Amino acid sequence: MKFSIIKESYTGSVPEITFGKNRKVSFGGEKSLPFLFFEGEHPHKPLISFEVQDSPPQDYPKELAKVYSSVWDDPVRWAKLCESFGAEAIALRLMSIHPDTTDAKAEDVADKLKKFLNEIDLPLIILGCNHTEKDAEVLPIVSDVARGFNCIIGKAQEGNYKTIAASAMAGGHSLIAMSELDVNLAKQLNILITQMGFPANKLIIDPMCSALGYGFEYTYSVMERIRIAGLIQGDPMLSSPMVADVGFYVWKTKETQAEDENSQWGSLHERGIIWEAVTACSFLLSGAELLIMRHPEAVNLVKYFIEDLISTKEK
Amino acid sequence: MLIIGERLSVISKVVREAMEKRDAEPIKRIAIEQWKAGAHMIEANIGPAEDIGDEIMEWMVRTIQEAVPLPVSLDTTNPLAMEAGLKVHNNEFGKPLINSTSFDPERFIFLELAAKYNAPVIALTVGKGGLPRDAEERVEIALKLLEKAQEYGISLEDIYLDPLVLQIATSQSQAMEVVKAVRLFRELNDPPMKTIVGLSNLSNGCPKHLRPILNKHFLTLLMYEGLSAAIVNPEEVRETIKTVNVLTGKTLYAHSYLEI
Amino acid sequence: MALTGIEIFKLLPKTNCKKCGFPTCLAFAMKVAQGQAKIEDCPEASEEIKSKLRDAATPPIIEVQFGTDSMKLKIGGQNVLFRHEKKFLNPTVLALEVADDDSEIETRIDEVLNSSIERVGETLRIEAIYLKNRSADISKYRDALERILKKAPQIPLILGVSSSDIAIDSLSILKGHRPILHGATAENIEEMAKVAAKFNVPLVVSAKGVEAVIPLTEKAKALGVGDLIINAEPKSIGELLRDNTFIARGALKKQIRSVGYPIITFAWGKDDFYETIVSTVGILKYSSILVLKRTLPWKNLALFTIRQNIYSDPQVPMQVKQGIYRVGEPDDKSPFIVTTNFALTYFLVKGEIENSKIPVWLGIMDCDGLSVLTAWAAGKFSASKIAQFVKESGIEEKLNHRELIIPGYVAMLKASIEDKLSGWKVVIGTKEASGIPAFLRNYVRSKNDR
Ligand code: SF4
Repeated sequence: MKFSIIKESYTGSVPEITFGKNRKVSFGGEKSLPFLFFEGEHPHKPLISFEVQDSPPQDYPKELAKVYSSVWDDPVRWAKLCESFGAEAIALRLMSIHPDTTDAKAEDVADKLKKFLNEIDLPLIILGCNHTEKDAEVLPIVSDVARGFNCIIGKAQEGNYKTIAASAMAGGHSLIAMSELDVNLAKQLNILITQMGFPANKLIIDPMCSALGYGFEYTYSVMERIRIAGLIQGDPMLSSPMVADVGFYVWKTKETQAEDENSQWGSLHERGIIWEAVTACSFLLSGAELLIMRHPEAVNLVKYFIEDLISTKEK
Repeated sequence: MLIIGERLSVISKVVREAMEKRDAEPIKRIAIEQWKAGAHMIEANIGPAEDIGDEIMEWMVRTIQEAVPLPVSLDTTNPLAMEAGLKVHNNEFGKPLINSTSFDPERFIFLELAAKYNAPVIALTVGKGGLPRDAEERVEIALKLLEKAQEYGISLEDIYLDPLVLQIATSQSQAMEVVKAVRLFRELNDPPMKTIVGLSNLSNGCPKHLRPILNKHFLTLLMYEGLSAAIVNPEEVRETIKTVNVLTGKTLYAHSYLEI
Repeated sequence: MALTGIEIFKLLPKTNCKKCGFPTCLAFAMKVAQGQAKIEDCPEASEEIKSKLRDAATPPIIEVQFGTDSMKLKIGGQNVLFRHEKKFLNPTVLALEVADDDSEIETRIDEVLNSSIERVGETLRIEAIYLKNRSADISKYRDALERILKKAPQIPLILGVSSSDIAIDSLSILKGHRPILHGATAENIEEMAKVAAKFNVPLVVSAKGVEAVIPLTEKAKALGVGDLIINAEPKSIGELLRDNTFIARGALKKQIRSVGYPIITFAWGKDDFYETIVSTVGILKYSSILVLKRTLPWKNLALFTIRQNIYSDPQVPMQVKQGIYRVGEPDDKSPFIVTTNFALTYFLVKGEIENSKIPVWLGIMDCDGLSVLTAWAAGKFSASKIAQFVKESGIEEKLNHRELIIPGYVAMLKASIEDKLSGWKVVIGTKEASGIPAFLRNYVRSKNDR
């Protein structure tokens, strides 16, 4: 029997997002499930951004400290180091504003950000600290400072989307909308945000990330369901590109920290890197177009993975 | 279709407080309202009620039946409370209903009580450990439950199979599995098995204004499949029930059919 | 896949004539599906349904068994493309490649035998050995095989041979084993299929690309080999994803029998990192067997974990094991919080406690994986059960205080728990996990003030 390729038919497509001022990058825009080049266009590769924090991180384990501790008291130097690793975008996480760390004021952060924007011309994602109230207070000011820089702002959640979305819109930025591992809630949040007049083609869904071994399968399946709803069922409220905030979740796990190398877990260095890379590659396969990562070696692995996938595109 | 008024439930704050204070007034008022709205039976849901469940159930049954001439559906996971309710129930108004047993050995005691008091019983088609995935699994559990019930000497006519309605907001695909289960449950015996649902769980967690809309339309689908009983807010579904009965030819059409 | 009760029911006459001894056709059909009744008991059943039942015993992707009596492995049998639809069946088998001319075969066998790791209550391991006939020499292969059998007599085997003579030679000494035979290609398919049929073992057919594989599976089947496994020889991750998608879609969406077989994938990679990534794609996307070039503890840990995650049941809310969990480094003064074992509840609560930076003893109660309110309504998160859990958990020895924090949703249980747990005070926590950090800070502050 002749084998005819069974192609899926699609009724939706993922909007393309471009961000950055002088240097721009794009992701999204595909018309089929991830990397199935034979049945739909994929104009862009997934994009990997490097995470930088605005104050010295308190919870980076040894393997990350080895890479970043010499630069982490200065976000600009930190970002430049990432650039030397080949970063195409930076995700600046404003941890200093968290009430449990230094509870920095919006004005202080604004000054820091101005300096950062002056010195770093990589496309920028600006992330709050995931504290609903504090993010609602700081992100609008940050959006305004970065007006014209065409950034991605995140993350708007159910409890604070109104102020954050309004300010992102005023500042001309794209926006990450985060819900907690639930397709229905992801859809609802996108509806609410677009009802405010926020352009649907500048929205990015964060279905809530997780690390291999710690809720991984929830994120994986929610992402697959979102992609299927957006592309196959053509649900416009679920067709936004997705972000996976991988590094944040991965480097909290025991597997990236436990130092006993004689245990059955083997070498910590490799273990940490593979934990981040496996988590990231898996979420690319389930539908993420944008990654936020930490370890440069893990990033290189994921880049190689993407190239290897793309190599079949031409055939 | 048998309509069981759901409003006397521990989930409601008014009812919970009335139960705690043994304040008969709100209980009676709500029972009467439901009776007037067309309920054939009143549900008394006292929740797990571990400590003095027997006392509460006894009081609830008496209070309800002082207010309305209807039988009571006894909803508790506490067997002592259940038995207390069955003992004081006034059977002149009809038999009480036991809500509920399931295929969890901890709940077989309710089958025992059903046999002892010759009362019909709701059989939830869930086993131990997790919710049913689809209609098929519900039917498998139903079959096992029916066998179990027969071991206790309960006649199949006295069993109401409950497919367990799940929340649309979190388990969307389960809605149609429930509809399918109702159809299949009926096929398990000849004459058809009786079926029942706790309707409003469908819209649990949904915005208030959507709840009646979701509930009513879901009931339409279930009635089409031959649902025999529903635990509902009678006021909310009155029009739906009457209208479906007209559409399916169960009652004769007249311009004023909604008014009678 | 065997027909379900409902599918059998659809094919019955639905007259409820009761001749089968059951009250209705559906009751009978359910029993047939469960294997507790025979279709022959229904005198009205048509020839059509009988033949369909026989046919349906063959699932769209067949299930293949191999291994030994004490280590039976099952592969294939999948019936969905996406994990959220239904639990993926038969987790990917991980095998290690061993070459027959490897001077350290014993070390390699040890790697396999010592690979097991405990994770979330399961023992995970490399399950099989792929013995590769790199030498192309029949006596070397026989020798290597005997060395394996001596050291690991029960290990499931995949024989990677280059000729049917070597296959026959090996299969004739394997007693109590059902190995997989690998090595059938377009050139030798007839001889290899005959060997597989004679010894009744599963056969891997290899060719570049799905289209080239199909004539081979058809030929092998015609020669009497039912248990086939496909190797479409992908050389890049892109090809792996594409080939596996074609095969799984063809089998599941179009019921194409000639691709309805499990897939074997030979991992590759410039280093161990990349081999792990390639294997990840195989596990996520339909490979039933993954043959690794090398095993290392960290690599095994990552692959075992992803396999365990992906092959978990999406419909049973994942449950966390009952017990007392430490978040941070709690001591005898740290707060003690109790909640249910719904995995999402656990992850959210644990995450928020971590955010608060306050070390906590987290008591997780087995409530069949239900969330707090549902568990309470179902009587599984009740005052007496919470009290019993606290008593039996051994937490009293770890604390110098007697304060228990319960979720805000079950505030009404406070008095009743205090009744049943003498000496304990119940504190009402927040309804939503997001409120935990603020709550904990206040709680600790007010406790210190006292
Ligand atoms: S004998 Fe056949 S037709 Fe008659 S009830 Fe049984 S299954 Fe149905």
